[in-house]
Amino acid sequence: MSKIGIFYSFRSTKTAKAAEKIIEAFGNDYQIDKIDADTVNEEQFLSYNKLILGVPTWFDGELPNYWDEFVPALEDLDLTGKKVAVWGMGDQVGYPENFGDAAGIMCELLSSRGAIIIGATSTDGYVFESSKALVGNKFCGLILDQENQARLSSHRIEQWVNDLKKNFK
Amino acid sequence: MNEYPKVYSVKTTPKETLTKWYRLMTLGRAIDDKAPNYLKQAIGWSYHAPYAGHDGIQLAIGQIFEKKVDHIFLYYRDLLTALSCGMTAEEIILNGISKATDPTSGGRHMSNHFAKPAWNIHNVSSLTGNHTLHAVGVARAIKYYDKKAVAISVQGESSLSEGYVYEAINGASREKLPVIFAVQDNGYGISVPKKDQTANRKVTNNFVGFKNLRVIHCNGKDVFDSMNAMTEAKRHALATGMPVIVQANCVRIHSHSNSDRHELYRSEAEREYVKEYDPLEKFKRMLLRYNRFTAEELAVLEAESAAELKEAHKKALKAPDPDPNTYDQFVLPEPYVSIKYPNGTHNQEGEKKKLITALNETLKAEFRHNPDTFIWGQDMANKDKGGVFNVSKGMQQEFGPKRVFNAPIAEDFIVGTANGMSRFDEKIRIVVEGAEFADYFWPAMEQYVDSSHDYWRSNGKFTPNVTIRLASGGYIGGGLYHSQTIEGALTTIPGVRIVYPSFADDAAGLLRTAMRSRGMTMFMEPKALYNDPKAATVIPDDFEVPFGKARIRREGTDLSMITYGNTTHMCLEAAEKLASEGYSVEVVDIRSLVPLDKETILNSVKKVGKVMVVHEDKVHSGFGAEIASMIMEEAFEYLDSPVKRVGSTFTPVGFHRSFERIILPNTEKIYQAAKQVLSY
Repeated sequence: MSKIGIFYSFRSTKTAKAAEKIIEAFGNDYQIDKIDADTVNEEQFLSYNKLILGVPTWFDGELPNYWDEFVPALEDLDLTGKKVAVWGMGDQVGYPENFGDAAGIMCELLSSRGAIIIGATSTDGYVFESSKALVGNKFCGLILDQENQARLSSHRIEQWVNDLKKNFK
Repeated sequence: MNEYPKVYSVKTTPKETLTKWYRLMTLGRAIDDKAPNYLKQAIGWSYHAPYAGHDGIQLAIGQIFEKKVDHIFLYYRDLLTALSCGMTAEEIILNGISKATDPTSGGRHMSNHFAKPAWNIHNVSSLTGNHTLHAVGVARAIKYYDKKAVAISVQGESSLSEGYVYEAINGASREKLPVIFAVQDNGYGISVPKKDQTANRKVTNNFVGFKNLRVIHCNGKDVFDSMNAMTEAKRHALATGMPVIVQANCVRIHSHSNSDRHELYRSEAEREYVKEYDPLEKFKRMLLRYNRFTAEELAVLEAESAAELKEAHKKALKAPDPDPNTYDQFVLPEPYVSIKYPNGTHNQEGEKKKLITALNETLKAEFRHNPDTFIWGQDMANKDKGGVFNVSKGMQQEFGPKRVFNAPIAEDFIVGTANGMSRFDEKIRIVVEGAEFADYFWPAMEQYVDSSHDYWRSNGKFTPNVTIRLASGGYIGGGLYHSQTIEGALTTIPGVRIVYPSFADDAAGLLRTAMRSRGMTMFMEPKALYNDPKAATVIPDDFEVPFGKARIRREGTDLSMITYGNTTHMCLEAAEKLASEGYSVEVVDIRSLVPLDKETILNSVKKVGKVMVVHEDKVHSGFGAEIASMIMEEAFEYLDSPVKRVGSTFTPVGFHRSFERIILPNTEKIYQAAKQVLSY
């Protein structure tokens, strides 16, 4: 089984904790490399065919600066055939107008470069006004809301990882 | 539609452009960081609103501004915008430490208010969003004179809570004007978070229902996204002539200003979070990451900026301080001078015309005389209706809808866009009906007060050439909201001339002078006299009445009545009645309240010795209080009796006629008061 790269900011708090839980949910059967999104380069990104990206939403619906700064590189990469799963962190109460937007922005960008986005999830259990993460009636990835639904996160991660396991085959 | 072309990116933007931007950004931040030191060293800059966190959008706004072509209105956080528009570090510091050579105001305006009127970087108020209406007004001129230019109103997102900002955006949308509203959203109005301002976090989305208005969102912390958004906004405004709002998401890294402590209302986590997205650091990281510069190259640019600041600092410190003895300069510009009628009197005989006819014919004559005249107001032009009282009847038919037009029911918009339009060119003269009735002028007071500052605040560089007409006063059974006369409140505000004619010829002459003069004039019209035969007079076609020239309407030796407006006629009637009893009463119609003809008043007092001050406005704090005090201070030894004041009671004007009779002054009340004074 080919290795999986999980990309997130090592300086983050909630996103990093979620990354650890995701790795834990995959179990020991999977080789998962942790790559720091703050310093990621094109070569590292291209060295994986299975990627998991942690993309929290900042401010009113923006990518965090570390991902935003990598966008010009991503825009020129050929990601054809790569399977990518994205999880985001959002606050559906404080920011209902752009809940999980950053995850959606990233999914759209990767998709436009040829990546296959996996790991869409149901919006059941969330209440928000709008989200760029919506593709049809599903989120393009997993959206965790540590501000308002922290106790649901572990279960959501487990379900998501089970789905990813199937899709990464 | 939020999409816009990616004209600029870190990979493709020419290096010389990136160099220019990095120099501006590092220079701006160096000044931003240094500004508080001037206060600590007691040199100045006591008001500083740091811009750190707004770097991307401020750079972009300045970069799309074309000096002397576009018009831009900065707000108090726009230090980098000013630099990016082309102002120098020295000019910024000269404003910061209030030097005589400060291009904004010569040390008169607050620090952190950067302007250069010669380049159309306008001098603006500190009142948040006040200049939004000015941008719309100047855009109206851009459209009328068919110029390829835009007006740019720069402001914080909290300013969108102000009602007049709604009025401005509504006006730009309705009139299809090339205005860019550049909204820098840092999430706070001082300490008030966005959630306490409006329900919509993306505050400009409140305006998406407006027609002809495009709303663009961008990341104001990112140089390239901001440049692309502003480039598209300008392209769109120029191509379509339509307005655009750009909402740029920023962060406020520091406190609102140096009198604010954001640690009182922002958690440490939040303060660290916004610092994390420092736009300058991000720009630097990207330049390095994509190999556009080496660290050594950037260090050289940073050193150049530091050296530039050092040099600017030295020069600014050596600049002269303002001379405090110039404090009374530039309150009002010199008015038009009448050669033919230096005292504002005439001896022409012939057919008498009503006051309303005098106003109508003078407006038309001046519109023929000066093609750069405009008039608007509520009810201004609807088929055969021209003005709420038909004062401007027939004007739209003669001068067309581009010079004579209706305004929305928004008094602040009416006055604010007049101020703005007059900024376009010194030759423009604007007349507005400030409100349907003087009673409804109060919403316009923020523009009135701020316009009164313009000439002084800009050190004589800009004055709004605007005449505000107001149908004023009672005696029509109008009650609380159709009877007010508000000059008592207005005369406390320097910077505006206030005239109040009572006869047709004076109305014509004062209006002509107002429309030919620079500066702002409040032209109060006693609406009860519009069609009253007693106010009708013969009017020379070219009659002019200078400001500050009273007119003695009746000579006398026993008592002098100082008056204006409706009560002039009552004083004349009372004088006539007293004459039948053997008293000789003088009636002085001051005509101008500001400036006031003290000489004529004092001469009358000195000649007669007994004096009354009579006006329709309330005795309590009415303008008569000022006149009476002036007389007592400057001619006390000539007085043979106390100065008597007659005016309305300290109440609103009631609707039932019996209320009006008891509240407002009339001939009988003036007669009775005169008898008291004469008894001394």
